[in-house]
Amino acid sequence: MSAAQWVENFLQALTAGLLTGAIYGLMCVGLSVIFGVMRVINFAHGDFMMLGMYVAYYAFGMLGLQAIFGAGAAPYAAAVLAAPAVFLAGVLTHRFLVSKVTGMRGSGLAAEGHYAQLILTLGVALVLQNGGLYVFGSAPVSIPTPLASSAWEIGPLHGDLVSVFVNQGQTVAALIAAVVVAAFVLFMARSPLGKSLRAAADNPEAATYMGIDVGRAHRLAFGLGVAITAVGGGLLASGTSFQPYVGLEYVIVMYAGVVLGGLGSVSGAFFGGLTIGLVQQLSTLILPNQLQNTAIFVVFLGIVLLRPQGLFGRAARRT
Amino acid sequence: MRRQLLFIGAFGLVYAVVAALAEHSYYQLILTVVPVWAVMGLSWNLLSGYSGFVSFGHAAFFGLGAYFVALAHIQWGLSPWIGIPCAGIVGGLAGLLVGIPTFRLRGHYFALAMLAYPLALLYVFEWLGYQELALPMEREAPAVYMQFADHRVYAWIALALMLGAMALTAWVERSRFGMSLVAIREDEAAAEAAGIRTVSWKLRAITLSGALAGIAGGFYAVVLLVVTPPAVFGMLVSAQALIVAMFGGVGTLWGPVIGAVVLVPLSEVLHAQLGNVIPGIQGVVYGLAIIAVILLAPEGVFWKVRDMKARRAGGVPDVLVAEPAPAVVAPGVRGVGGGKVFEVEGVSISFGGLQAVRDVNLSVSRGEILGIIGPNGAGKTTLFNLLNGFIRPDRGRILLEGRDITGARPYEICAAGVGRTFQVVRPFRRMSVHDNVVVGAYVGQASGAGAHAVARAALAKVGLAAQANRSAGELSNKQLRLLEIARALAGKPKVLLLDETLAGLGASEVEEVIALVRQLAAEGVTIVIIEHTMQAMVRLVDRFVVLNEGAVLAQGQPAEITRNDAVIDAYLGRRWRTANA
Amino acid sequence: MLEIRGLRAGYGGPPVLEGLSLHVDKGEFVAIVGPNGAGKTTLFKAISGIVRPDAGMLRFDGADLAGVEAAARPHLGIAHVPEGRQVFPSLTVRENLEMGAQTAAGKAAWKDSLEKIHAWFPLLAQRAKALAGSLSGGQQQMLAIARGLASAPRLLMLDEPSMGLAPAVADEIFERIVSIHAGGELTVLLVEQRVAEALHFASRGYVLESGRIALEGTHEELRSNDRIRQAYLGM
Repeated sequence: MSAAQWVENFLQALTAGLLTGAIYGLMCVGLSVIFGVMRVINFAHGDFMMLGMYVAYYAFGMLGLQAIFGAGAAPYAAAVLAAPAVFLAGVLTHRFLVSKVTGMRGSGLAAEGHYAQLILTLGVALVLQNGGLYVFGSAPVSIPTPLASSAWEIGPLHGDLVSVFVNQGQTVAALIAAVVVAAFVLFMARSPLGKSLRAAADNPEAATYMGIDVGRAHRLAFGLGVAITAVGGGLLASGTSFQPYVGLEYVIVMYAGVVLGGLGSVSGAFFGGLTIGLVQQLSTLILPNQLQNTAIFVVFLGIVLLRPQGLFGRAARRT
Repeated sequence: MRRQLLFIGAFGLVYAVVAALAEHSYYQLILTVVPVWAVMGLSWNLLSGYSGFVSFGHAAFFGLGAYFVALAHIQWGLSPWIGIPCAGIVGGLAGLLVGIPTFRLRGHYFALAMLAYPLALLYVFEWLGYQELALPMEREAPAVYMQFADHRVYAWIALALMLGAMALTAWVERSRFGMSLVAIREDEAAAEAAGIRTVSWKLRAITLSGALAGIAGGFYAVVLLVVTPPAVFGMLVSAQALIVAMFGGVGTLWGPVIGAVVLVPLSEVLHAQLGNVIPGIQGVVYGLAIIAVILLAPEGVFWKVRDMKARRAGGVPDVLVAEPAPAVVAPGVRGVGGGKVFEVEGVSISFGGLQAVRDVNLSVSRGEILGIIGPNGAGKTTLFNLLNGFIRPDRGRILLEGRDITGARPYEICAAGVGRTFQVVRPFRRMSVHDNVVVGAYVGQASGAGAHAVARAALAKVGLAAQANRSAGELSNKQLRLLEIARALAGKPKVLLLDETLAGLGASEVEEVIALVRQLAAEGVTIVIIEHTMQAMVRLVDRFVVLNEGAVLAQGQPAEITRNDAVIDAYLGRRWRTANA
Repeated sequence: MLEIRGLRAGYGGPPVLEGLSLHVDKGEFVAIVGPNGAGKTTLFKAISGIVRPDAGMLRFDGADLAGVEAAARPHLGIAHVPEGRQVFPSLTVRENLEMGAQTAAGKAAWKDSLEKIHAWFPLLAQRAKALAGSLSGGQQQMLAIARGLASAPRLLMLDEPSMGLAPAVADEIFERIVSIHAGGELTVLLVEQRVAEALHFASRGYVLESGRIALEGTHEELRSNDRIRQAYLGM
């Protein structure tokens, strides 16, 4: 392989990594609200993302979105529509299941609370995955978008040896992801609701003394967390095909990103996810395609073993 | 133990007869896979149930075992009769290899990291091209290759494997092995400080657990004749191991077996009846089962039934025997000046820029009672953590009886004669009071019987003999403080590090504990005690070391210290001066 | 203002509080003292609704608190400064104060209270942007008190403000509380293990032992009581 071609491959993988990474970053931001900030372990997070993908898929197909938004924009509108539906699913899951083992009840249990959350949400994950098989079928689907097959060409650079193709569909998705992340980070940092969510996560008992309804705050945060990840899933759904078991692969991706970004840091989680996306795409330069995910798992193990406090965030204060 | 083995034998006999009567090959298959998942549950339970390290990745060992047996048969013509034991070795080695790095993690990080192993292996085996391996039919000598026309034989083999796994679990549960694992589950740091070699026990547990899973996987390959990566490395495999154990009862011998006997046939039958209409019904059943368990009976069916039976029988008898107050020994002249026990030389440690302990020099003489005081955040507990090996100093040396122990592990330091208690009590809550102390006694005792005897003596010494059979979680604050002292005493320490042992005690209780501490000192145990209650301390200790902002502010006799201006300003406060002027 | 009669409360096991009665009048500074484990914190949790009473009556301003959710009680004017400070570590000092001012009264008086808080605790103005978790113990205690004050409460409940603080720092905190009480209409209910200090500053006091009120009286009565002098004041 010539040097120029290697450079081209590298730039191509880098671009793909950044674009995929932005969507991973969005998904990680959703998980970081639940895991990083509230310290609730949601093993089913990937499966809520899967729900988001299917909601987007059906919204795209049924709601006449294409007539309203046109074929180009409809997939993205569908992705955003996944948010309210999955928000509701998240709120209900929290209300009837997760809240039984978290919050003040959970904090009294300390380590056992975590243990119960982990296994309870494992149960939720199994039900969603396998129930999804019944509801959605096992055949892989994806949202068709004309943008997915068109690309901008950057270059030719360096004479005409190197040129990089930037997928238009992925670029739009990445931009939407970045906007959603920015809006959410602002919401958490500035809005009164965002602040009281953080307070309720920091110390539920003290938050109650401030007059904050902690149960409601945790419910909202859980709903927001899965809804944001669902948007990420919806955006991913127009680029890749998926089936009901897809969530499992992304659970590791998301936890890797959140831990890498530093627990408790919402913006850190975005950069964590971005990094995971880059690792995944750049790994294709040296590894066979099938081992992309293996590379991510190895990176995840490396992160939790060597630097559990994350690369971007401050050292975790509440471990 | 004998009774338990008898039970296991009887259960095996019944199961074998039921298997013999099963005619339909479909029922024979179910009777074969029930023990397979019971073995997986027992394997998961051996690690996660007893040690508390929840694994989401037992499919890794299972899958490696399955692929080993299949590949060894296909490529080398190795019979599963040899292949399955070898699969156990493969699984055990994999467990060891996985355990060495992964045990650096705790809690949910451990669980998630464990999840990564089978998923990574799944892709590796797909990439290697083993999407579907079929075991060849051996028509010449089927029995040699574990192939039987009569499918009941498989059920019997599976049963034998399960009975073996149960006997193994029964042995572990009764031995030092099991007790150490449970202590680790309840409080790993406290176990380590009590002399338990935590790393080595955990590695043994995951090795044994991996071996069982490898055997189960190997046998599963023989039963199904086809091995695919999702079927053996998939999430459902790990989940099923966890769920049968959780459903039946975590940390029990019978739990995983009960779970498998109930859940496996249920999901198989539903799958057979409704599988065409509702694909994924098995996963839904397991998912719902585990949700129900967590919400309704988080400890599993076994414990729930036992609790209900106990309640019907009138509850656990709660006998409160008035305990004799420990004999009060007057603070006589002790052997002060009998050489140095601890010497701390220029020790410093910082955490993320915060200098918690800086350049501390101090020494403790044999037989002395040394009091360590200072404001919160002065580094008192950090100093204890340095002394018993929880943390390693950035600089400086720590000598125990002249021997450099800087950087030694807590259990090594415990074995060398240092016992400690904790500021916030750390008993093994779900173990009995007696067993708590037994864990502390293992360090000096080669035999289990010896450890039990030492534990009884230590409990008698602190006045908890009457509470020996209660669960530690039921004790009062004072009793927990005494329990911690007993646990430390059981290791026959030369030095006791007491971290705020008097905190939260009423006035009369303080006197009791002080009397005990004096008695121990009179018997030759050197005492280092952190405490806030000055009134008590002034009467108890021979010498004070005052820490402030991580450094030694002053040291000396109680009379000097309470009049030292720097100490009053930093710690005692002005009111002390006016009150004692 | 606050009236408690025959209160029994606990955590499922044997009751921690049994037949406890007390009252706090408007503008008073009342101290509840007693040994560790006597039920002081449980009493506070029952007042703010975290612990549900098994029996007895709690009234605030004449209204029964039984049907009032914990999260609704701060809005009535009850501010609870919990044991061990419990500031929100990942929020800034200013954001912690904003959390205190979630009540309607707190929002209305926000500008005014912030000014007062900064006058009482100038350090909190200097460190407004710092994360609460980065403050020292004494500073966190000041923030916790200020956070309680930000809700513009009528009853300020302080649970062991001296806990874990060096005596010198604790003295400073006590003096600040006294000056805050002296400067306004605020009613203060203080729970303390440091009996000498608490009885020194309060106008009236209760001694809580094993879940019951063992003694009550004015500042002078309690300080001259022989039992208290022996058991708590070490005289």
